Amino acid sequence: MKRGLISWNKSEIPVEVFEQRVARIRAVLAERDLPALVVYSDLWRSNQARFLSNFMPYFNRALLVIPSEMPPTLLCGLSPRVYGWIRSVTTIDDVRPAGNFTKPLFEIAEERQWPRIGALDLERFPYDIHKALHRGPIDLVNVESSVVMTPADDNTELSIRRKASTLAKEILEQEIPNGVGLTDHQFAGRLERRFRRAGAEDLLVLLTNGRSAPAPATGATLEEYFSVSLAVEYRGHWIRISRHHGVVITAPPESRIMEKLDGAYPYELGEASIQAAHLEFRHKGKRLFYGDTAL
Amino acid sequence: MLNLDRRRQFLDLMAESGWDLLLFYGHSWRKDFFRSLVNFNFFGPHAVAALTRSNELSIVLSHPWDHELLFDKLNGKVAWASDFRSAIRRMVHGRTAIAGKEFMEACFIDESTVSATAAVEALRRVKTPDEIGFIREAARLADSGYSHFVETAEAGMAEFELVAEVEAFLKSHGAEDNFMLIGSGGTEVYGMRPPGERRFQPGDNITTELTPCVNGYYAQICRTMVLGEPSREQQQSFAIFEEAQAAAQKFLKPGVNIKDVARVQNDVFRREGFGEYTGAKYTRVRGHNLGLYPDENPWVLEDVDCVVNKDMVVIAHPNTYLPLSGYMVFGDTLLVTEDGCVSLHQTEKKLFEKAAERRHGTGE
Repeated sequence: MKRGLISWNKSEIPVEVFEQRVARIRAVLAERDLPALVVYSDLWRSNQARFLSNFMPYFNRALLVIPSEMPPTLLCGLSPRVYGWIRSVTTIDDVRPAGNFTKPLFEIAEERQWPRIGALDLERFPYDIHKALHRGPIDLVNVESSVVMTPADDNTELSIRRKASTLAKEILEQEIPNGVGLTDHQFAGRLERRFRRAGAEDLLVLLTNGRSAPAPATGATLEEYFSVSLAVEYRGHWIRISRHHGVVITAPPESRIMEKLDGAYPYELGEASIQAAHLEFRHKGKRLFYGDTAL
Repeated sequence: MLNLDRRRQFLDLMAESGWDLLLFYGHSWRKDFFRSLVNFNFFGPHAVAALTRSNELSIVLSHPWDHELLFDKLNGKVAWASDFRSAIRRMVHGRTAIAGKEFMEACFIDESTVSATAAVEALRRVKTPDEIGFIREAARLADSGYSHFVETAEAGMAEFELVAEVEAFLKSHGAEDNFMLIGSGGTEVYGMRPPGERRFQPGDNITTELTPCVNGYYAQICRTMVLGEPSREQQQSFAIFEEAQAAAQKFLKPGVNIKDVARVQNDVFRREGFGEYTGAKYTRVRGHNLGLYPDENPWVLEDVDCVVNKDMVVIAHPNTYLPLSGYMVFGDTLLVTEDGCVSLHQTEKKLFEKAAERRHGTGE
């Protein structure tokens, strides 16, 4: 779960970067004669709202409303007691209680006389919110994320993903040589300490001794040809990486899987502009995994 | 891996409800409905298990690694699909009910299905013996994790550094996951949140809720420690929290209503003149159920109507802001027994304190 440092370093992501991203949204809204766009966000699906506002909830759900001519509003499932914290780590000043999400959205729409609004990847909204939105007094129009958001063309996005990737490579380079003989739990614990002290928000660790695909730790002792596969969230930017111990492989891989990293989810199977490739090799009967995030 | 007790309950539920198929959907945040039947910690982002009325099981996963790890572990059909939407739509037939329907992407299903979320949640509320065993293990881990928290915290350390150390400890000792919030400071602190860069100072309240997960099941402990000697106000404040939690623990037993578990806690605050601090402006809930999700229903609130049953696992935590010393937390995971409840924790019920002197440098 997202429980590491959530912050906004304005020298790393200047406010102008978010303004440019939102400007692109607004240009599409103008083309389509839409007064606003609503973006769904939750603990796991935080990529899109993070890209537009740096908001990444540690729990619960939210709707980010981006009007064409006014500052964004966040309808938030979190307690009002943390709104100050939200304002301190995002571009959003207007944070409101979400309730059932649709009521406050409809109130805003009524107040601003919006007959219809755009919804980012509408058909991928959670079923309950999707249904409630369609029962309301305003029309919802799908706006495809592929049209309004292309993280692969965004230098800041790429720069922070590169930083996350470099961080992960460095930590694994230092930790993997000391892994053999530890339990996978102990090794996962070491990685937790390193990544979270370096500012990672979230970390998923999969490990294998080469007899299966990488899996969550089970208490097994790590052997000579162990592999580790990570999903790392740093400043809200996810990367995937796999490495192995024991041998440098020069032979071609036996197989590979591709994961998409620039969609709504941190990762999902598929190819994309920002993607991860995990290659699988065989050595002395063991399966070794190696992979990186790349453009 | 297959929860056989639950499987029997779900088959009965299907028969009572006239459902032909019951789907258990999970995504990476809400794995709980899927894991209530098939306790497999998938990488994700999606998984669904389908149980037919004739007791046949099939599973679709969205990642090939998940498929490889599960396909020979169950007596049922296990597949993976890169096009998860099409796969799940192909599963639907007859009268299909879905536990976790609300969390699904809308495009995964249509109006022909019904939600089984509330019915399955109601069953899950009462834990099986195996589930209670996992929660007991998680509670033991929460105890040792809190002990490590207290040993590690020191003046000058940043919140996120302490959280890194506690996460490392819990993972090293077998936690699958952990939900953790933290707060530090004094009367300016109104709640907990993810860790920031603030460094601990003498006199701080350092609050946390630790929620480690063992085999999918969460237990939670809430404690407050003071860096340095507690002030009179901190002691006075903690005494109220301690009494409120004790009132809940004394009251909780089969047959009582969860709203009264909230009321007996709030009454302590009201008696002390702090009734306004029991409302939504200053606090969220006075506790909640625990299990495969760290924040299960019912939430312990005075407007929640739910009768308590044996083998429910509930945390009672009167966490809130008080002007005496800011936000404080205090709570234990409680197992409802035949005639009362027992705490699953060994951690002392006290306001923890630790000398404020800095022992060594911070950072790496």
